[in-house]
Amino acid sequence: MDVALERQLREDESLMEKNFLVTNLDNLLNWARGHSFWPVTLGLACCAIEMMATGGPRYDISRFGWEVFRASPRQADVMIVAGTCTRKMAPLLRRIYDQMPEPKWVIAMGSCANAGGPFVDSYSMLAGVDKVVPVDVYIPGCPPRPESLLYGLLQLQYKVSNPAKVRLMKHGK
Amino acid sequence: MTIENTEELLLNMGPQHPSMHGLFRMVVNLEGETVTKIEPKIGYLHRGMEKLAESRTYAQFIPYTDRLDYLASPHNNWAYVQTVEKLMGVEIPERAEYLRVIFGELARIASHQVCIASTALDMAGWSAWSYAFRDRERICDMYEMTAGSRLTVNIMRIGGIIEPPAEFWPALKSFLDDTPEMLDEYNGIFFGNEIAQGRLKSVGILTKELAENLSITGPVLRASGVNYDVRKAEPYSIYDRFDFNVPVRYGCDSYDRTIIRMDEIVESIKIIKQAVRDIPEGPVMAKVPKVIKPPVGEVYHRVENPKGELGFYIVSDGTTKPARVRIRPATFINLQMLPIVSLGWKIQDVVAIFATLDAVLGEVDK
Amino acid sequence: MENKVLKEQVEKLATSVNGEVEEILGELVLKVQASNIIETLKGAKSFPNFPCDFLHDLCGMDLVDHLETVYQLSSLRGPQRLRVKAIIDRENPVIDSVTSIWQGSNFLEREAYDMFGIKFKGHPNLKRIYMWDDFEGYPLRKDYVTEPIEVRNIVRTRIEGE
Repeated sequence: MDVALERQLREDESLMEKNFLVTNLDNLLNWARGHSFWPVTLGLACCAIEMMATGGPRYDISRFGWEVFRASPRQADVMIVAGTCTRKMAPLLRRIYDQMPEPKWVIAMGSCANAGGPFVDSYSMLAGVDKVVPVDVYIPGCPPRPESLLYGLLQLQYKVSNPAKVRLMKHGK
Repeated sequence: MTIENTEELLLNMGPQHPSMHGLFRMVVNLEGETVTKIEPKIGYLHRGMEKLAESRTYAQFIPYTDRLDYLASPHNNWAYVQTVEKLMGVEIPERAEYLRVIFGELARIASHQVCIASTALDMAGWSAWSYAFRDRERICDMYEMTAGSRLTVNIMRIGGIIEPPAEFWPALKSFLDDTPEMLDEYNGIFFGNEIAQGRLKSVGILTKELAENLSITGPVLRASGVNYDVRKAEPYSIYDRFDFNVPVRYGCDSYDRTIIRMDEIVESIKIIKQAVRDIPEGPVMAKVPKVIKPPVGEVYHRVENPKGELGFYIVSDGTTKPARVRIRPATFINLQMLPIVSLGWKIQDVVAIFATLDAVLGEVDK
Repeated sequence: MENKVLKEQVEKLATSVNGEVEEILGELVLKVQASNIIETLKGAKSFPNFPCDFLHDLCGMDLVDHLETVYQLSSLRGPQRLRVKAIIDRENPVIDSVTSIWQGSNFLEREAYDMFGIKFKGHPNLKRIYMWDDFEGYPLRKDYVTEPIEVRNIVRTRIEGE
């Protein structure tokens, strides 16, 4: 469950993929994955209400193809951690992450999930959800507006569709 | 083939589940599909607010109170700010009182809309959920115009409130004009629907004596026939100037607990209209010292949250930080009725009963 | 005026349980020792004209040399209000539970036990309610030191049955 080791393994895997010429099928698969995320409902606190409002009639998440919020993690792609993660909840969060099949991504929504938020010096808080699961996109805000959540999901879509470009931006090689 | 004997099944309805109420976990003992025992397990969202209050100043704690009952955040602010004002003996101006009432009642309407939406969603009624959320967006727009945030507004200050901009008043007027149609829509889609009625009528009876013994407050108590509302019993702010009724229902079942919230929306609209008619001009903040240091003492003050009675008990020792802040959460105490009322019902009725309690886990777990 | 009648009744109750009466910011406060608490609350519930029979809140407090539990009482049928404080010894914090008088104090007493370590005799299910079961320490006491962030960031392993 060592998070840093897992991140390293993922990077090594994607580096290995680069050396094989499977470009066209790869692009098609990445396009399909990015345009049809199935999020798992992990709404913990106030940010969950903004996530529900994003799924509501005004900020319609369905026009992007992501409205299928599955309750069971075995049928989902993306885990949107919206809200405060306490020390009591952390092992259960990891358990739900482990139950999701590959490929999977994690979005940390709100300042409590990013880095602990306003409650960071409390005795029962985990300072950010990236101590438990490897996070792909961080969305700041308290709570972030529905448009911010949609922008974050679009960033994840970009990351999934263009893994080489994102790695280039990040590491410069 | 007949079934020889059945064993008891222990079912864990875990912290993460499809109904959107938050991190609530129940361990249910089932005999077939009938419930024999429920043990609620909470604490998955405990953030330690009471301990954090001892290391923040009085004004720095106001945004933390927003995150308690995040669906009706002006009420939480109101309870805390009025307690501190009582401790310090501050008188706030008239215009601020009227504005507080307007924002408070708007929050009550928004919170009841989300309760109706969640109850419908738990019974797979997606249309009612969409309609209620669409109407709630108009209230969120009004908050955004004034305070900049849609959900956790942080709108009250010790000594007053923020002044809303000029475009707030036409938006409020157009919202109030559209409310009769809105309520007709909810009645048509949800309350008149015979599936909703069949699932809620006569389910989960909470008698009057049991409700009083369990210290239950709010719409759950008023649906069991007790006429008790903090706004009439111990009027805070300027509620003694408004002419409104307290809706009471005598059915004690889940249907009454849900439809009483519709009655409360009607009463809130009446109060807002009276407030808009009578609001005077003037300042919105009282003269409060820059560094807030209340004298030594303690006070317990309560307001009528949409979920029940929210109370704050503050003990001050003369410095800029409080010695003890105690939050009396409405839903934590109301939750005690769930194990008693759901005995003998089926597992899907437990979901319906829990939805009518309208629990917000931010308040239960502080 | 009903305030005077209530004050006399409270003072009479105070003399019978060795308590003291004060008035803070317009509210009557009655302080008793922990051993007399059941008698005091039953007496307050059965005042002749102004019974204080609805329990609003039960909380713990940590004053440095002793602990206290504070009960906020009032009534659904009248304007009377009363606050009762029970003084508990810090070395051995034990007090009788009031679940026999009001069933609604069940969760509240579990919370006071979790946060302060006050043990309630006669409570049907005295376990921790907010923190996890093998948490050490009582967070809301004044001498509790919050662990540094490196320790808090270690994710604990899941206990069976959680």
